[in-house]
Amino acid sequence: MTTQRSGPVYLNLLRIRFPVGAVTSIAHRISGVLLFLSLPVLIYLLDLSLQSPAGYEKTISYINNCWFEAGLGLVVWSFMHHLLSGIRFLLIDIDKGVTLQTARGSAWLVNLCAPVLALLYLWWIL
Amino acid sequence: MSRPIHGLRDWLLQRLTAVYLGIFLVYLLVHFLLQPQHSFQQWHDWVTQPAMIIAAALFIMALLIHGWVGMRDIVLDYVHATGLRLAILSLIALTLMACGIWALRVLLQAAI
Repeated sequence: MTTQRSGPVYLNLLRIRFPVGAVTSIAHRISGVLLFLSLPVLIYLLDLSLQSPAGYEKTISYINNCWFEAGLGLVVWSFMHHLLSGIRFLLIDIDKGVTLQTARGSAWLVNLCAPVLALLYLWWIL
Repeated sequence: MSRPIHGLRDWLLQRLTAVYLGIFLVYLLVHFLLQPQHSFQQWHDWVTQPAMIIAAALFIMALLIHGWVGMRDIVLDYVHATGLRLAILSLIALTLMACGIWALRVLLQAAI
């Protein structure tokens, strides 16, 4: 006799292996939330930098603060990941790269290129 | 809430705004990459060009739509208790509207 399981099932999230596309997808959401949360800070900086030459200098000194740079790094990664995975989703919407093999390849590409591009960009600009 | 959520309309809006946001932001990043040395005057003049003000105002509106659809979808997926859901959605809507008004005000003040 087989018994039907109906109770709550314990899922150990640390032991579930996510396929690479799922990582890309969940990171798209996480990066989106981070970008949303960074909005007030970014608008504040824009405001400060446009107010006066002194405000502009103050903005530059904020950006050169190492704690701030860590936060900025996170925002730049969020942007890079959100942009790249967004382009990937748009391509998949118009039926480009939908086979499992290409979709996995592009997911790896997005996951790896986002942090690399973010670091390169910050290194170049700071 | 009696107003239905328009799935297809929002799906399309999310993608159209995404394209504009992507193009504008890549343009900004490339500009910062190629012209990293700005003085206040140079920066101020660049931001307050009429074409930039218009493009940025459109960007802010696209960002509000995109941010709302995206954040709402996440909340609807993960928050199921009605009261909490309504509270978080309200907070997100208020934050986005405040950010939009603030950003437009910053642009207009700089331009005047």
